[in-house]
Amino acid sequence: MKKYDVIVIGAGNGGLAAAATCAQAGLSTLLLERHNIPGGSASSFVRGRFEFEPSLHELAGAGSPEKDGQIEDMFIRMGGDVDWVAHDSTFRLIVPAKEGDKDAFVNENGILVTVDARMPVGFQNFARKLDEIVPGSYDSCMAAFDLSTRMFNAFECLNNPKKIPGCLKDVPDLMRMISHTMNEALDALGMPKKAQDIFNTYWCYMGSPGSKFDFLYYMAVLHSYVKNGTGVPLKRSHEMSLALDEVIRKAGGDIWYNSEVTKVIMENGKPAGVVINGEKEIYGKYFICNSSPNAVWNDLFDIKDVPEKQLKMLNARKTACTLTTVYLGMNKTKEELGITDYSVFIAPDSDSDKQYEAAQNFFSGYCIINCLNEIIPDCTPEGTSQLFLTTMTFGDVMKDIKPQDYKKFKTKVAKDMIETCEKALNISITPYIEEIEIALPPTFARYLNTPLGTPYGYMLEKWDSMIPRTVQYGKDQPFDNFYFCGASQERGDGYGCAYYTGEKAGGIVVKKIKEGK
Amino acid sequence: MANNFKSLKGKKFLSMLSARQERFENSKAELPKDGDNAMFLAKALHPKRQYLVIESVTDRGEDCKSFTLVPDAEKGTASLAYFSAGKYLTVFETIEGMPVTRAYSISSSPKESLEGKYVLTIKLVDGGLMSKYIFDNWTVGTKVEVSAPSGNFDYQPLRDAEKVICIAGGSGITPFLSMANAINDGDEDFELTLLYGSRNADCILFRDELADLEAKCSKIKVVHVLSDENTQLPDGAEKGFITAELIKKYAPESENYSVFLCGPQQMYEFVDKELEKLSLEKKYIRHEMFGEFHNPASQSDYPSDIPETVKITVTIQDKTYIVKGLSSDSVMQTLEKNGISVPARCRSGECGFCHSHLISGKVYVPKHLEYRRLADYKFGCIHPCCSFPLTDLEINVPVAK
Repeated sequence: MKKYDVIVIGAGNGGLAAAATCAQAGLSTLLLERHNIPGGSASSFVRGRFEFEPSLHELAGAGSPEKDGQIEDMFIRMGGDVDWVAHDSTFRLIVPAKEGDKDAFVNENGILVTVDARMPVGFQNFARKLDEIVPGSYDSCMAAFDLSTRMFNAFECLNNPKKIPGCLKDVPDLMRMISHTMNEALDALGMPKKAQDIFNTYWCYMGSPGSKFDFLYYMAVLHSYVKNGTGVPLKRSHEMSLALDEVIRKAGGDIWYNSEVTKVIMENGKPAGVVINGEKEIYGKYFICNSSPNAVWNDLFDIKDVPEKQLKMLNARKTACTLTTVYLGMNKTKEELGITDYSVFIAPDSDSDKQYEAAQNFFSGYCIINCLNEIIPDCTPEGTSQLFLTTMTFGDVMKDIKPQDYKKFKTKVAKDMIETCEKALNISITPYIEEIEIALPPTFARYLNTPLGTPYGYMLEKWDSMIPRTVQYGKDQPFDNFYFCGASQERGDGYGCAYYTGEKAGGIVVKKIKEGK
Repeated sequence: MANNFKSLKGKKFLSMLSARQERFENSKAELPKDGDNAMFLAKALHPKRQYLVIESVTDRGEDCKSFTLVPDAEKGTASLAYFSAGKYLTVFETIEGMPVTRAYSISSSPKESLEGKYVLTIKLVDGGLMSKYIFDNWTVGTKVEVSAPSGNFDYQPLRDAEKVICIAGGSGITPFLSMANAINDGDEDFELTLLYGSRNADCILFRDELADLEAKCSKIKVVHVLSDENTQLPDGAEKGFITAELIKKYAPESENYSVFLCGPQQMYEFVDKELEKLSLEKKYIRHEMFGEFHNPASQSDYPSDIPETVKITVTIQDKTYIVKGLSSDSVMQTLEKNGISVPARCRSGECGFCHSHLISGKVYVPKHLEYRRLADYKFGCIHPCCSFPLTDLEINVPVAK
């Protein structure tokens, strides 16, 4: 019977990148996916005359003329055929005023707000805008971007010290960035609190608030968005996933859809094969797993075969945030609706820790509204547009909901989210909804098979953030022939992060096999 | 404000690393107990399969039977998945070694599913493989395998109007019966006016049940529309067909209303033309799919000179089969006729469950069944249930499960 060099479990972003890396290096590769299409969260779905993007907000640097977006680089390197569309803004943050707010003002939409920040691309532009909104914040903002620039240089330097002479002197600052939270570091840089709140807007992309994650991690993200702007694939993220599917097949790899791994076969104390759909056995030398460790240890292994440390890791970590998304096919154009921005973050409070507290329950009032037509004007038929609303929650927020309550609950949450956007932007959405789909944590749980339905893995807290996870990667993997990739790993959630972990795991396996191990 | 960044301690990081491993070390070495409710709901609402057994069969006349299905605990189904009225179940059968699937709307109410009961009401279709098999074989005690409730033909309060004109033809009444019951049970909240087309009074399915619901619940109104020339009209019934004028008569005058349609293809062709006269916004018109499409050559954009038979080379996991089929059969039908199981749910192009890779060859897809994603065209992906071969094909299909 055929024995594969590597079996990749799960065709999410991590699994796709891992399988592509292995197949292109000439390894016999089998990618197994329990769903009928690749991508996990990176996919699309059709309702009526609309095709929706299920998860992607934007990708840092994709489609920019500089072409140094990490993701785009990977596709170019692998020969994945994706058409990118660039976008040259970052985000707009609106904090509607509460009664008694002293610094409230009426914004361009005619709404009373305390913050309305539309932030541009480019470090200087960004800092100037911040300074315009919160005078006295320019220097600290530029100092933060200076640190992140030096941080990226130092990263490159660690790989190739000759490339940027002298950058190792920045390592002490790097250590400071890793050792302190976002809030601690921005305080030390002397950034006014209100400017910090705007600066922190992407906190929800990390799945934990400014008092929990480290400064370095956030700066890695913000830097890459602000430096060159963002982009999206022309044909939703299904295009990216099918492009990688093609890369893998062209390189001779096998992909089997509807093929769920239901058991891992152990031999001599380590994985030797998998059982597919409860019936078919396939053997392999190495395994790369894009599935959530919770699901893997629960469902695929006998408890006696699970390394003790892996169980301890499950209990030491907290599940990151969960999402609720509403997809709207509108029978009006974005102009008719009065939408002027691709990405608006509406926050009930500008402080990320207060937002985090509020998000322990439905509905916190926090909502991101995206309109893809801002980037791809003809992504919907003439006279229409599509909107994508996102909110986040933490913990088992659905714990009291029974199956028979689910539809009403879901409708209520969606209604609250839509009304929040209507109020904050002073626009009307509800009468023009032609198609609607609502995804709550159970929807994500169904498709991703993760605890609480999180797409984000484990909470990136300072003690368990990107750098500690990266440094201790070797110590955290369960067997010498079984590696995890995806959102549960070093970099947490995000397409680029998942691709990175997949390529890395693939690279390790390729190296080991080439070394004859 | 002063920049005090250099005063931050960097070496903290090194102690963080050992603290991290210690933190793991001091945690419990056991699987986390109690799953969460998000996962519970996901599994309860979307089981991979439901194993059922037929508890009773009711002959409704007009070549139509209702089958009451209850959980088959022996095969591992303890309770039924709850659903929103309007959803369908895909039935899986093997007929003479040939795997066959069909989607049937659930005619019972969501509430009854909590009591462990689904009802499928099935009409014997002329030349219908599955319905004939069901009529010949399904009896009390028969074991039946079905999917989770699926589909998008349910009421959505944020999209649909508060008043809905439901237009049914023949056994297309099934989702509306479920909706009417859900309204009566308080599980849905909208005003339902049913325009139910039948040939004559004897052909009306669920006549008593509908009358009973109308009497009990002020939000439900039932209007029978009978097409036979010489038929006796019961009280309140209309004669003829479901025309724009008739819809207007029962629709609210000054408010928006939605129109839901479920019935045979001929009914859609007729009523859709009538609806055009009413100039309703697209969002207010919703169709349930009418099942498998046949006879592609009847379509005006179907190419000429297509060979009658084609060869299909299909790879599923590590097995490759070569089969012959007719160009008038969908790729899915040809594979099934050759005993090859294909993943199938809606069989109308919409759900995308049969998503497959076309490696070489050409297919025809009727325009109204085009629900593929943009990237599918770019990378040569098809939905075999509504793709008709124009040449020999080479395809890669996911395994049926």
